Amino acid sequence: MMLLPLLLAIEIGEGDPELALRLQRRDPRAMAELYDRYGRLVYSLVVRIVRDGGIAEDLVQETFLRVWNRVQGFDAEKGALGPWLLAVARNRAIDYLRSAGSRLRNALELQETEHPALFADFEKNIIQADRIARVKAALEKLSANQRTVIELAYFEGLSQTEMAERTGQPLGTIKTWVRTALKSLRDELGTAVPA
Amino acid sequence: MNCDELRDYYELYALGVLEEPESGEIRAHLERACPACQSGVRSARQLMAILGTTAPPVPPPARLRGRVLAAVSGRPATRWSWAPVWAAVAAAAIVAALVFNGREQRAVAELARARSLSVSQTRELARLNRALEILDQPDARQVVFGTGPAMPPRGRVFLDPKRGVLLLASNLPPAPAGKAYEMWVVPKGGKPLPAGMFQSATDWTAVHVLPGPVDVASTAAVAVTLEREAGVPQPTSQPVIVAAL
Repeated sequence: MMLLPLLLAIEIGEGDPELALRLQRRDPRAMAELYDRYGRLVYSLVVRIVRDGGIAEDLVQETFLRVWNRVQGFDAEKGALGPWLLAVARNRAIDYLRSAGSRLRNALELQETEHPALFADFEKNIIQADRIARVKAALEKLSANQRTVIELAYFEGLSQTEMAERTGQPLGTIKTWVRTALKSLRDELGTAVPA
Repeated sequence: MNCDELRDYYELYALGVLEEPESGEIRAHLERACPACQSGVRSARQLMAILGTTAPPVPPPARLRGRVLAAVSGRPATRWSWAPVWAAVAAAAIVAALVFNGREQRAVAELARARSLSVSQTRELARLNRALEILDQPDARQVVFGTGPAMPPRGRVFLDPKRGVLLLASNLPPAPAGKAYEMWVVPKGGKPLPAGMFQSATDWTAVHVLPGPVDVASTAAVAVTLEREAGVPQPTSQPVIVAAL
């Protein structure tokens, strides 16, 4: 099981510029290729967030439709399709969690994080097996509390104040856990992802 | 704050979960093209992209590929869903609200009864719940639009400071292919802020919710324009609805 995401991700990102161009030309076969390349990753991420296969199907469909509708704003040459898709998918799923839980956060905050222009000039083929392995190893080295706050931020979209409310911990403690956890992840990937 | 003080926050900013004042500080650095923050936030986005791939792998059902391809080709999806049922309930409630002018409680009661039905939780249900929450607020500011002698889009806008903006409209024709309606919250003396895309139903009614806090006192109007389906950052056409506060 541990190796599966790695195997799925190997070679991912190769050929993305050409695929993005075809999406921009509205080639319907390009969407099939995009799904075949990223559908599993996107579905796995959304299921992890909403924990319901049926809802995840709706959200994955929305994700690909949104990318199809916004791909003209994507930089086909310099853009990173995989990270953009994952960001759009995460936002759809977090937005669902927020609306289902009546959490009063502005959806516009999330929309700011998924504009296609934000995914340009990434490291080539950023989603690579060795990088995923390093991040997973770094996650496993974190303390349980540090891992929890990273998961609450990424998979539940909680702010630090919301994490403090959820866990019953003081805000200062949460901030310390977040800061040290992110530093560990950053350090682990520091040489692999140049700034 | 300087860039060194902000570097701990780049990842939370990239995830859209960073609070003020740090969020505003990073946004200000990016707006003035600060190289350190641009580079730091880009690295953070890359790290967060990789984090997204660490979810336990789950193979999607085979039918999902067909649904995705049908969605982009404009063919109807074949999977049965509660969404049309809820859309019909919502449309009926809107008609009730608009026909029984000034008696929104009737529509609220219809929606409340609909909510009590035990169904699987769908996005449509979540959306209607958000609409109900705003309708339920006694202090929500209410604005009527489209009351002229012609037949413009008509309806009401409800603004609740904590829960957001709810638009109920009728006589709103379906958008042409590739187009959608975009709602705008227009601050006093400021540029319109995008407030989400929506479509009208086949009976020319529409419900749209912008969830989240809204500063009612500083809002001059809520407007709707017809835009391309993906949405635009600023209006490019004359508004079809203007609800001035």
